[in-house]
Amino acid sequence: MSKEDNLKENWKKDFPYKKQESTQVSRRDFAKFLTLVSGGLMVGSGLVAAKAYLLPADEVVGEHFVCDVKDIPLGGTRGFVIEGSSIPYILVHLESGMFRAFEQKCTHLSCAVYYKPGTGIIHCPCHEGSFDALTGDVIAGPPPRALPQLEVVLKGEKIFVKAFENKAS
Amino acid sequence: MSTFRKSQNQANPNKLNVILSTLIFVLILNVSIQIWLLYAALNNALDNNKEILIPAFIGSLILFLIGFGWLYYLPKGNFRNNKT
Repeated sequence: MSKEDNLKENWKKDFPYKKQESTQVSRRDFAKFLTLVSGGLMVGSGLVAAKAYLLPADEVVGEHFVCDVKDIPLGGTRGFVIEGSSIPYILVHLESGMFRAFEQKCTHLSCAVYYKPGTGIIHCPCHEGSFDALTGDVIAGPPPRALPQLEVVLKGEKIFVKAFENKAS
Repeated sequence: MSTFRKSQNQANPNKLNVILSTLIFVLILNVSIQIWLLYAALNNALDNNKEILIPAFIGSLILFLIGFGWLYYLPKGNFRNNKT
């Protein structure tokens, strides 16, 4: 096929005479499109891995003062933000007397979660997700992961939080 | 040049239909697995489990290469090259 013929063919392919030819997608093109999507997903996976290894999320450094024990009644909660960060946290005073601190963002779609007093459950009102207030684990609903947790340190009457260390590992 | 392929295709015109359908079926299967891998990788990355990310990426890469190589078998059609 000469160069001129080739040009003519391409011209016809880009601007077909018949409407049907211009709107239909052939299975051949669909197969190529699926391969393109496949390549996109591969690049996406690569970006997720690269982001996790090259730009890891900032961890909480050191201990941060939240409030005094008397400021937070049994079954009560208190929202706080650590200096230099915009992530909202809640401090929960469980009915058993223990303190727990969690990120206030639901792991499903980042809605603000709240503690239901007397139930031991942290609840997300958007899609009825429930977390265990003791461990942060998912009890019910769509959230795929446990709530990120901070470790609560009591120093006398003052409550501090620091990065959570997984004691099981 | 041998006319074997051409005459085969003319004798069994449905064969290309089956080949193309199978090809698309396998590509859809690959893409589904890749979506699952990406979903798992994202969830684990947000949960700070890094060990799964590289294997998920390698799996996704292999699936893409399989799909890309698969395109080699994409039939050109029975009558496209009949002019020559």
